[in-house]
Amino acid sequence: MESDILQSQSYLTFRLGDEIFAASVLSVIEILELSKITKVPGSPHFMRGVINLRGNVLPVIDARLKFGLPRIDDTVNTCVMVLSIECEEQKITIGALVDAVQEVLEIDRKDIQPAPSIGSKYRTEFIDGMVKRNDDFIMVLDLDLVFSQDEIMLLQNTEGNVA
Amino acid sequence: MDKLKALFVTEALELIADLERVLLEFEKDLHNEESVQVIFRVMHTLKGSASMFGFDTLSALTHDLETVYDAIRDGKIIATLEILDITLKSVDHLKKVIHDPSLGNSDLLKKHHDLLTAIKKVAQLHHDEIGADYSIGKSFLATYYIYCKPSFSIFKNGTNPLFLIDDLVALGDALVLPRMDLLPDFNHMNPGECYTSFEVILVTDKPAAEISGVFIFVEDACEIIIEKISEANLLLHDSFVARMKGDHDLSVAPFGLEIVMRLAENATVTPEAKSVQFVATRVDSSSIRVASDKLDELMNLVSELVTSQARLSLLAEQHGLAELTNVSENMEKITRRLRDNAFNICLVPIESLVIRFQRLVRDLSKELKKEIDFVAEGTDTELDRSIIEKVTDPILHILRNCLDHGIESPEERVRQGKKKEGKINLKAFHSGTSVVIQIKDDGRGVDIEKVRQKAIAKGLIKKETLYSEQEIIDLIFSPGFSTADQITDVSGRGVGMDIVRRNIESIQGEVTLTSILGQGTTISIKLPLTLSIVDGMLVQIGDSKYILPLTAIDKCYEIEARRISSDLSQKHVFDGMLLPVFNLHQVFREKANEHGVIQIIKIAYEAFPIGITVDQVIGEYQAVMKPLGNMYHDQDEFSGATILGDGSVALVIDTDKLIKQLTAKVVENNVLVN
Repeated sequence: MESDILQSQSYLTFRLGDEIFAASVLSVIEILELSKITKVPGSPHFMRGVINLRGNVLPVIDARLKFGLPRIDDTVNTCVMVLSIECEEQKITIGALVDAVQEVLEIDRKDIQPAPSIGSKYRTEFIDGMVKRNDDFIMVLDLDLVFSQDEIMLLQNTEGNVA
Repeated sequence: MDKLKALFVTEALELIADLERVLLEFEKDLHNEESVQVIFRVMHTLKGSASMFGFDTLSALTHDLETVYDAIRDGKIIATLEILDITLKSVDHLKKVIHDPSLGNSDLLKKHHDLLTAIKKVAQLHHDEIGADYSIGKSFLATYYIYCKPSFSIFKNGTNPLFLIDDLVALGDALVLPRMDLLPDFNHMNPGECYTSFEVILVTDKPAAEISGVFIFVEDACEIIIEKISEANLLLHDSFVARMKGDHDLSVAPFGLEIVMRLAENATVTPEAKSVQFVATRVDSSSIRVASDKLDELMNLVSELVTSQARLSLLAEQHGLAELTNVSENMEKITRRLRDNAFNICLVPIESLVIRFQRLVRDLSKELKKEIDFVAEGTDTELDRSIIEKVTDPILHILRNCLDHGIESPEERVRQGKKKEGKINLKAFHSGTSVVIQIKDDGRGVDIEKVRQKAIAKGLIKKETLYSEQEIIDLIFSPGFSTADQITDVSGRGVGMDIVRRNIESIQGEVTLTSILGQGTTISIKLPLTLSIVDGMLVQIGDSKYILPLTAIDKCYEIEARRISSDLSQKHVFDGMLLPVFNLHQVFREKANEHGVIQIIKIAYEAFPIGITVDQVIGEYQAVMKPLGNMYHDQDEFSGATILGDGSVALVIDTDKLIKQLTAKVVENNVLVN
């Protein structure tokens, strides 16, 4: 189905802990420096709060916590990726807090290999595939899945049950 | 031209809505001449502009209708319900024709011809039944109050005040009342001075300018008041004349305009005269039409201005420059007024909705063969345009429920010893910062026991658990409940009530239902006045700032921090009253302040006041509401967020919902402990 033009796509890579992830640039609107985040009491732990995006309120998700990584203090490299994702046939804008944003890569569709089972460290259902780059593996993410509302609701519920 | 046509369509739709309203009014009192006048006038305007813009079909139909009402006006035809029925049908038809003036749709074309013949037939049929003394003296008479107090020295100018009065009387019918209260006693009287003043009640068809023209040469030498006090001929009202004449005591002081106005009002409180006034005010209010997106744009700009203003205030404060502070404070005042004005522009009286409701009730009651007396009160209550739009469908739904299931059939009502006509009362009023729309019927009410049975069968509640009546009634709003088909037979309510509640909650409203079995049901919808900007109080709790709506705040107290325990709920005494206090530090997981003082803010909650803890009250703040978005959909204790002067975000707390949640939590905890 997909035409040749779509074979190669641009991806933005970012770092969480020691791992590199890639997200399609089509979903990334902009990258913001970390500003003051207002927390919203009573929300799920991975929801860091809201920030002011030029007069509008943008919810920010801590990608580390969302991916099940431990929380660390923010550094000078920590930044917010403003993403436009689709969930329930609705476009919503959210911010994702990542450890550092790296570069934009052209990745050929056929270089993306299916994700192997990599144990329980990451929630693998969000991962589209993997790409080998030099000696590292980059995980290509399906953003719509990662941040879709259904997923958030699910987590919220499980959290509620635990508590 | 298309643009003009579009303009005509909006105007015509408005006229048609007007027409519908007056027709429904007319239906209640078929002898009301004023209604006929208004109906005729609206039709005339509609016909005129329709033919001007080439809506020939529209103008033709309106012309025929107009002929009928012209005849009614002249007493050649007597108005009947039959005529009214056809008129209303035609009005409905007009609404469709206006979008398809060439009658391309064959159904429409057929309907059009049917109506034309029906109207012609009606006009013919009633043509012979001429009411004997049904002619109306058409006149544009009005009653004026004139007070003329010549200066003491007026005779020196060679003016005789009596000639002025003569001139006045020549304009129409007049009641002249000389007033000699200023007459000094005989020893002090100077025969060269004028002590008499005059009060004149003048009934004339001449314009006010002509009256003032009488006094044109003596303007400097007289104190003159000329005021129209009524659109009717007050001299025909005996009570008014008698009161004005008093007991012919010439030494009484002049009544003065105010008293005369009041007398005039009292004299004319007959339904007929009232509608005259009503018409008059309608004509007088001048207004312009503005596209709604322009208003939206205006509101957006005002919101941005308010946000920038907050930033300016903060800067002025930080820099401490007296001049800057001055400017900023001045700006703040202007901003506030601009904001209030812009708000007001966006407010619409709910009257516009009520016509639709009346029509629905009228049509549906005929269809269901029920007799309904629909009364709307407080229709001048104003609400934000966007809220009105969203609340229409839920109310239509509620009314439909009322008519269909709430009100019993006439036979059943009589059997139960009720009046044959069912009553539906729609009442709108302000309550604090909210507007409440109440829909009350005197129908059969909700059978709580049946609702309970049904809910158990549906698995919504457990059989063993005890629920209060209100809790059971609330089940009507739960989604599972409404989809059941049989529920209409069971409870008489519940079809789509969950959707009603959802729609109303989406505009931050609340809907509650109370009911007495056999006596009726009351549904109250509580709505915010506006959605975009709230007057709030900026407070600090731990590291974060929050906005509390100013209207919810009753009073602030101080208390030593060490007296606040870490419990979620506690009680403290203020003003000699025990106040339940929620520890918001605990709720929001903020660092508790252990030294110094803590502020307790007393909040007016439904039945009783509640206190909440905050670290510091920063000050008043106009919060431009921004939605928190889908991500925080479940957190309805925050009605939104706002941008502060320093660019950070503060959450706006919905105190009602927050306290409701916390109370529920406390109750739950108590249950667990016990």
